[in-house]
Amino acid sequence: MMLKIEHLQKKYDKFTLNCSLEIGPGYVTGLIGQNGAGKSTTFKAILGLISFDSGTISILGKDLRDFKAKDKQKLGVVLSDSGFSGYLTIKDIIPVLDSLYDEFDKSFFLKQIQRFQLPIDKKIKDFSTGMKVKLKVLVAISHNAKLLILDEPTAGLDVIARDELLEMLREFMEQNEDHSILISSHISSDLETLCDDIYMIHDGEILVHEDTDVLLSSYALLKVDENQYAKLDKQYILRSKNESYGYSCLTNQKQFYIDNYPEIAIEKGSIDELITMMIRGDK
Amino acid sequence: MMKGLLIKDFRLMKTQKNFFLIIIAIAVFMSIASSDSSFVIGFLGCIGSIFTLSSISYDEFDNGNAFLFSLPITRKTYVLEKYSFGLIVACTSWLFGTVINMIFSLFKNTATLNEILLTALLVLPIIILLLSVMIPFQLKFGGEKGRIAILGAVGIVAVIGVIIVKIADLLHIDLEALLNNLTTLSIGMILIIALLASLLIMLLSIRISISIMKKKDF
Repeated sequence: MMLKIEHLQKKYDKFTLNCSLEIGPGYVTGLIGQNGAGKSTTFKAILGLISFDSGTISILGKDLRDFKAKDKQKLGVVLSDSGFSGYLTIKDIIPVLDSLYDEFDKSFFLKQIQRFQLPIDKKIKDFSTGMKVKLKVLVAISHNAKLLILDEPTAGLDVIARDELLEMLREFMEQNEDHSILISSHISSDLETLCDDIYMIHDGEILVHEDTDVLLSSYALLKVDENQYAKLDKQYILRSKNESYGYSCLTNQKQFYIDNYPEIAIEKGSIDELITMMIRGDK
Repeated sequence: MMKGLLIKDFRLMKTQKNFFLIIIAIAVFMSIASSDSSFVIGFLGCIGSIFTLSSISYDEFDNGNAFLFSLPITRKTYVLEKYSFGLIVACTSWLFGTVINMIFSLFKNTATLNEILLTALLVLPIIILLLSVMIPFQLKFGGEKGRIAILGAVGIVAVIGVIIVKIADLLHIDLEALLNNLTTLSIGMILIIALLASLLIMLLSIRISISIMKKKDF
């Protein structure tokens, strides 16, 4: 396992995180949840930035307590609300990275800087959102990391910048079959083309963990009126919600309802819609 | 690993170069204007030690610490780097101040080389002491609050000094005579004791700073 979190608990005044998740080698795993769902808290715990109350985290085969500065060489980290000081330029951070990372690949880094036309002499604080994120991701992938930990890298990006970012991550995955990524977002459509599996987090709890393929192929929304709802076999219904026309129901066994209730309207639903349903629907 | 952090802090310092130039201009101007230019050593030394505080503020700004501590460094390395950075910058400015003082004294014939060196060597433990007091406060309270805390600490030290003098007064101990006795010790001895004492305090200060940083959440 590249990363394994078991029953991680962190209590704040009005919020408790209770999270388990794992990432295998070669996997891109998404963590999806609204703002304040516990994504950043989970990431900070993994990175040793905050203390936690109970649970264990093992990362690249080591318990977090034994995970030393040297081991961090193998991590590439992007945090949404933090980075190198905005008063520095790319020219300033190159020697910094060169001394911090044993395997910093300067020529690769410079090539990518050129490819994305990032200004080398400009203060980072004057970069656009897209440029800032690209730089952060470049820093994360330029020192032979095995595991990337990316907190909301797609936030605030336009479609083109987002696709360029996803392309960078795909290239990282192609470099080595053991490379893995943990990536979070509050918008799942940003991630569904990239991730092998997705965890859905809400109010500090993991609600769903599924392979992206299964989410896209087996999960669906049934739109039924009162009559149909009454007759519906509800054993594969995860959530349901009152609508003007009757009920909207979330299932993870689409085929069962297609086979048995051909008269019912079944919508594939985007992952975002599924998430909304998981959060807002009744059990 | 520490080298990377040092490079970062020096690059950040470069963005404040105008401030640095103004300070040097003030130092030179005051050396011209005043008859005794020995204060330049203390002045530059103290200003130099402030740069390490501003480097801590830069790190905290925009939640930068979270990213910083996800890099392959430990909190201990970070603390050691801050003291190293502080010593390098403060001692360089101190040296610079000493040179300025020597140049002006040469022209004005105000002080002998020995006197200048003596002043410079007396300022050195004060700079070390200053760093030792300021860095833990800045790390603990950060930014604006840190600066207020440092002022408070200086205030408390002053109050303690006054209290000691008052108590000595009440007990009819003649502090002045005591100090005069001290100076009968060889001046070299006093300098060595002062330097050793300030270094010891710095070691203690480093330990305190490390435990402050280890407890922090980012």
